[in-house]
Amino acid sequence: MKKISLMLVLVMILSAFMAGCGDSGADSGALPEKIIVGVFEPLTGANAGGGELELQGIELAHEMFPTVTIDGTEIPVELAIADNKSDKTEASNAARNLVDSKGAHIVVGSWGSGFSMAAGPIFEDSEVPAIGTSCTNPLVTKGMPYYFRVCFIDPFQGTVMAKYAFDEGFKKIAVVQEVSNDYAVSLAAFFKDAFTELTGDDNCIVSTLNYNTNDQDFSAQLTDIKNSGAEAIFAPGNFTETALLMKQARELGIDLQFLGGDTWETPPLLEIAGDAAEGAVYSSFYDPAAPLTEMTATFLDAYAAKYGDEQPAGVTACGFDAYLLALDAIQRAGSADGPAIRDTLAETKDFEGAAGFVTLDENGDAIKPAVIKTVKDGQFVYKSFVEPF
Amino acid sequence: MNALRTMNHDRRNQILTALAIVLVAVLLVIANMTLSKYHLRLLNLGGIYVILSLSMILINGFVGLFSLGHAGFMAIGAYTCALLTMEPAEKAVNFYLKPIVPWLGEMHMGFLPAMLIGGILAAIIGFLIGWPVLRLNDDYLAIATLGFAEIIRIVLTNLQTITNGSLGLKGLPKMEIDVFGLLPESMHGILVLNLSACIWIAVIITILFFVRLIRGSYGKAFKAIREDEIAAEAMGIDVFHHKLLAFVIASFFAGIGGALLGNIMQTIDPLMFRFLMTYNVVLIVVIGGIGSLTGGVLAAIIVTIFMELLRFLDASWMLGPVQVPGTAGVRMVVFSIILMVMVIFKPQGIMGRREFSWDWFLSIPTQIKEFSLNRSKKEASADSKKGCE
Repeated sequence: MKKISLMLVLVMILSAFMAGCGDSGADSGALPEKIIVGVFEPLTGANAGGGELELQGIELAHEMFPTVTIDGTEIPVELAIADNKSDKTEASNAARNLVDSKGAHIVVGSWGSGFSMAAGPIFEDSEVPAIGTSCTNPLVTKGMPYYFRVCFIDPFQGTVMAKYAFDEGFKKIAVVQEVSNDYAVSLAAFFKDAFTELTGDDNCIVSTLNYNTNDQDFSAQLTDIKNSGAEAIFAPGNFTETALLMKQARELGIDLQFLGGDTWETPPLLEIAGDAAEGAVYSSFYDPAAPLTEMTATFLDAYAAKYGDEQPAGVTACGFDAYLLALDAIQRAGSADGPAIRDTLAETKDFEGAAGFVTLDENGDAIKPAVIKTVKDGQFVYKSFVEPF
Repeated sequence: MNALRTMNHDRRNQILTALAIVLVAVLLVIANMTLSKYHLRLLNLGGIYVILSLSMILINGFVGLFSLGHAGFMAIGAYTCALLTMEPAEKAVNFYLKPIVPWLGEMHMGFLPAMLIGGILAAIIGFLIGWPVLRLNDDYLAIATLGFAEIIRIVLTNLQTITNGSLGLKGLPKMEIDVFGLLPESMHGILVLNLSACIWIAVIITILFFVRLIRGSYGKAFKAIREDEIAAEAMGIDVFHHKLLAFVIASFFAGIGGALLGNIMQTIDPLMFRFLMTYNVVLIVVIGGIGSLTGGVLAAIIVTIFMELLRFLDASWMLGPVQVPGTAGVRMVVFSIILMVMVIFKPQGIMGRREFSWDWFLSIPTQIKEFSLNRSKKEASADSKKGCE
C-alpha cells in the first residue's frame, strides 16, 4: 500500500512537471500563435457561486467569439482559467501563475474586490492588462494603471440609491451595514453622503447599525430601527444576511421599505426571505427587460440557447462584457503587447457591451448606467434606469 | 572528512552551520537570477510559512499547548508594518471613506523598524492575552485563543480611521532594506536587500533562534512541561512563566510572519486573517510533525510548492493518452487525499519528533553502507533457509 501511494504521488509530481512545461510564449513584437485570455475567478471557496456565474458569461463570449483579428490575421483565443480559491494569498499566486506560467496576454476577473486588489501589483509588474468584472471597490483601479473594469463602482451605486430614495420622498433613513464587507461599508458611506446632501438635513440618517458576516439574529438592530422613526432601511450587504434581516423585520412588525445593492440579486434571497422581500428595491448592473444595446439581445439569445431559458445574472453579463472588451482592445491595439493593449484600453469610449455602453474614465472605471430593480411576486423585476452622472 | 571528525564537536557543527548558511545564500542568489517571478514568489511564500510554522510548533509542539490564535497575531504584525511603511500619499488614497487619524497618516519609517515594531506589538498583545488565558488547558485554551484571534480581527475591522476597516489597505511598498541605511549618505544604496533576501534572512535568523532556544535550558523546560506538567513543577520549573514566555515568543514571530506576508501580497484586509489562516499553519505543522523544527521547515516549503504544483489539475490535462476534463477544485480534493494518506500511514508527520543534526548528516555514508550490508546478510540467510527446505 505504501508503495502504491508513493507511486501515485510520483506520477502526480511527474505529470505536474510535464504540465508545467507548456508553451509560455508571450513574446512581444511578432504575433503569437494564439492569444491567451486569463480568467481569474473564485471557483472554489466561499465566493465560488459568484465566480461561477461570471465564468458562464466569459465562456459564452469565448464560444461566440473564439478568434481575434490582428493586422488581418485571425488568431485563435484560448482561455486559461485560474481559481483564486476565494483567498487573497491564493489569489496572488493564481495571478502570478496566469502571467508567468500560462503566458496570459490579458486577464479578466475577478468577482470580489479583495482578490483583484491582491492581483493588481502583479499584473502591473508584468505589464499584463486586466479587466475587472464585478469588483466594485474603488481601490482596485486607483493607482493601478493596468487594472480596468466594466462595472461601475461603489460610490456611484450608493449615490444612485440615495437619489432614488430622495425621489421617492423618503426623509428619514436607517442604514444597516455588514461591517466586515468592504462593499457594504463603501456603499453605505456614499449613500449617507449623497442623501444628506440631497435632503440638506444633517439628521436624515436616523441610525447607522452594524452586523457581521454570518450573523443570524438581527433583533437588536431592528428594535433600534423601530424606535428611530426611519421611513426606509438601506441595507447593502450579502444576500444571506439581508434575507434574514428582511424576514425578521417583518416578524417584528416593521413594514419599512428596504433599499439595497446588486449583491441581493440571487435566487437564495427570494427563497430565504420569501414574502418579506416583496417590494424591496435595489440597484444593479443591467436587466434583460431593459435591453441597453444591440449586444444585450445577442447575449440573451446566446445565453438562452446555451444554458436554457434561465435569466442571466448581472455579473454574468459583466463577465461577458469583460471578455469582449479584452478582444476589442487587442484588435484596436493591433498587437498582443501588454503596454500597447493597456494604452488602447484606457481610451475605451462607448464600447458596446451586453450590460450597456462602457466608457472608461481616467482611473479605468466604467461610466455606465445603473438599473433600479424591485422584487415583485417573488421575482426580480425591472423598475427604472439611471444614467451616469 | 577526517579532519572534521577529529575537530572539537561543537566547533565542527558551527562551521558546518555557517557553511550551510553560505550555501543557502548562494542558492538564493542563483534562484533570484534564474527563476521566474512565479517560482520566486512560491519560494518566498515558503519562507514566510517556515517562520509561521516554527512559531506555532513552539507552543503546540514543544510546550504542548493547543493554541489557535496565530491569525490574530499575524494580523497585528501585518497591519502595524503596513501602516508604518506606507507613504502618506498612498494612505490618503486608501482612506477614501474616512480619513486616517493624522498622527498615523504622517508616520513613515523603514522596513526593519516597522517589522520589528509589528512583531513587538504582537508580542505585547500575546502577553496580555496569554496572562489570563494560559491558565486554561487543552481544548479550553484552543477555544479561548481562537476567540481572541477573532476579537483582534473584528477590532481591526471596526477601527475605520486606523486600519481602513473592511476596505483593506493596498499599495504596500515593496520590501527593501538598505543595509547601510543608518550610515552617512554616501554609503546608501551599496547593498540593498530585496524582498526574498529579507524573507530568507528572517527565516535563517528564526531557525537559528529556535534551535538555540530548544537546545538550551528553556527548551528542556518546555519539553518537560509538555510531557508532564506536575512533574515539571515538582522539578522546580515555573510552569506558568515558561508557558507565557513561549506564547509571547510565538506571538512575536507570528507578527513578523504576518508583516512579511502583507508585504509579499502588497495588500491586506481583515478577511485574510480568518481562522482559515491559522488552519493553514496548523496543517503545515501537523504534516511536518508536531515537535520537530526540521519537520516544520520541510513541511512549510513542501506544502507551499505542492499546492501550486497541483494547480494543473484544475485545467484539463493528459493522463497518458486520456484527456481529463478540467474542474475547479480537483486540486483541493487531491491535496486532501494526500493529506489523509499521510495521516493514516504516517500519523507522526514527516519528522515526528526527530531533528536534523550534523551527526546524523555526517553518518549518512556509514548508514548506507550498513543498510546494504544488513540487506545482503538478510538475503543470504533467506537463501540458506530456502536451501534447508
